[in-house]
Amino acid sequence: MPESIIKQDFLGFGLGLRTDHFEHILQHQPDIDWFEVLSENFLVAGGKPRYYLEAIAEQYPVVMHGVSMSIGSTDPLDMDYLKALKKLSNDIQPKWISDHICWTSIHGVNSHDLLPLPYTEETVNHVAERVRQVQDVLGRRILLENVSSYLSYQDSTMDEWDFLSQVAEAADCLVLLDINNIYVSARNHHFNPLDYLKKIDPRRVQQFHLAGHSDYGDYVIDTHDHDVPTSVWTLYQAALERFGPISTMIERDANIPQFPALYDELRQAKHIAELTFADSAQAEFHTLSQSRFGHQSQTSDHKVDNKPILRVPS
Amino acid sequence: MSRLAEIQQQFMAYLLSDETNNDHNKCQSAMQANMSQQAGISADIRLAIYANAYRIRLKETIETDHEILGRYLGDDLFDKMAADYTRAHPSANQSLRQFCDALPDFLQQDLFFKQHPIIADLARFERRLLNAFDAADSTSASFSDLQAISPELWPNCCLRFHPSVQIFTCSSNAVEAWQALKADSTPPAPDYQSTRAWLLWRGQTRLTEFASLTAAQHALLLGFIQGNNFAEQCEQMLEWHDEQSAPMMVLQTMQTWFQQGLIRAVVSD
Repeated sequence: MPESIIKQDFLGFGLGLRTDHFEHILQHQPDIDWFEVLSENFLVAGGKPRYYLEAIAEQYPVVMHGVSMSIGSTDPLDMDYLKALKKLSNDIQPKWISDHICWTSIHGVNSHDLLPLPYTEETVNHVAERVRQVQDVLGRRILLENVSSYLSYQDSTMDEWDFLSQVAEAADCLVLLDINNIYVSARNHHFNPLDYLKKIDPRRVQQFHLAGHSDYGDYVIDTHDHDVPTSVWTLYQAALERFGPISTMIERDANIPQFPALYDELRQAKHIAELTFADSAQAEFHTLSQSRFGHQSQTSDHKVDNKPILRVPS
Repeated sequence: MSRLAEIQQQFMAYLLSDETNNDHNKCQSAMQANMSQQAGISADIRLAIYANAYRIRLKETIETDHEILGRYLGDDLFDKMAADYTRAHPSANQSLRQFCDALPDFLQQDLFFKQHPIIADLARFERRLLNAFDAADSTSASFSDLQAISPELWPNCCLRFHPSVQIFTCSSNAVEAWQALKADSTPPAPDYQSTRAWLLWRGQTRLTEFASLTAAQHALLLGFIQGNNFAEQCEQMLEWHDEQSAPMMVLQTMQTWFQQGLIRAVVSD
């Protein structure tokens, strides 16, 4: 069993670092607590992307988030990719490195998509062994993020939350819980998202993702092109109650608004956390108070969804 | 083969197949057999979500990397190119940054697109722009670095260029068409009358720049990139200049390159 505290410190409230916002961040130095960078976007030799990344990493804590580790693939681990990740991490000193519990490539062909795994003992052992190898190469624990999925396999013998928990335990890695992905998969696979939260070990949850999605009625697609909807905010509150204050960021990858709009949306995340822990133990309140985010005035016409937080039916 | 490997192989085979592929139905059936029955949407729709995402993501990558080529082709031809290229060249890289690296060669060899060679030239030019954009960083040398070298050593001096420096040559007016489309103007009709050469580099403000090269400038730059020294390049310039003006032309051109940040080092043997 791991030590009771294996996580790193609470970073506060962050945003995904996007090209559209590079200039704004350097000019205005918003009081965002931290930024998450998409590792693959910066695995280039130099030029503007690296210039901005390094300038921003000098001023803010950053974390690295990848999409190409293909940790569940039956292809050998791509050591060149891991070496490139390690070099980037040496250059920008991220607080942590994450990727997804999925597979992306097979026989050297990359789907560039986060494809689901069958939830079996075989897969738990396979993924956990590869996570251990990755952690040896990178010299640190990594975070694995749950993905949105649209199909399930006949071979699966356990629920997704049990699969994620078993891999994290066997590999001694950390978890990045994507609250939106839990909601999307719950809708597509008809499970109760609170069941998911209940089964994840709080000691391993290092980070939350929040995002929007596209709702087609019968199914939901994880598109990251909308504001965080009420349904995800509601689940976020439930996750805070379960896990305590967790470093939280908003992912926006398409239809990206001006920076002040995302700043306002992130304020909503902090507001919910403050409400959740208003009457909480001293330790949780103290942790939350470490966040410096949210004291600046940003000019935005953006209207954040301020509907009352609704409880998820259990 | 493990069951996990089998599922992954069948999933990828499904993603790579489409309606034009004879095996598409077989691939789809194999994947459906792997899936559990679920309430709500059908297995077909669940699979199609992945197939659509695969194609849309790659098409968006081509659109982003080759915006002007897309405008040149128009929607229908762009869609055809994206579909044909994606079918012919599944991604073999960890980053989408490299997905279109084979696009110029594909357009040059494809039976349909090679009928219009300017299309491959446009794609190749845009790849070069991207390569200049995120090439490695480097410090730049200045003219004073050359002046600091004793003049009797100048004939043996060679130049080392910034990693973003590239030469683009083509037999069409692709760059002129690119410039017109970039400025929202109508591109000129394709012209294959002469070979053109362009210098591409990343400027000191990290913006990608390019400039046309005369035949003499092209030969001068190419020779220096290939490792020729100052004396050899002065001699080569005799094809365009007399003995008095050739060294002056070389020096003046080098001075411009220093100002543009193209040269990272002067080395003397």
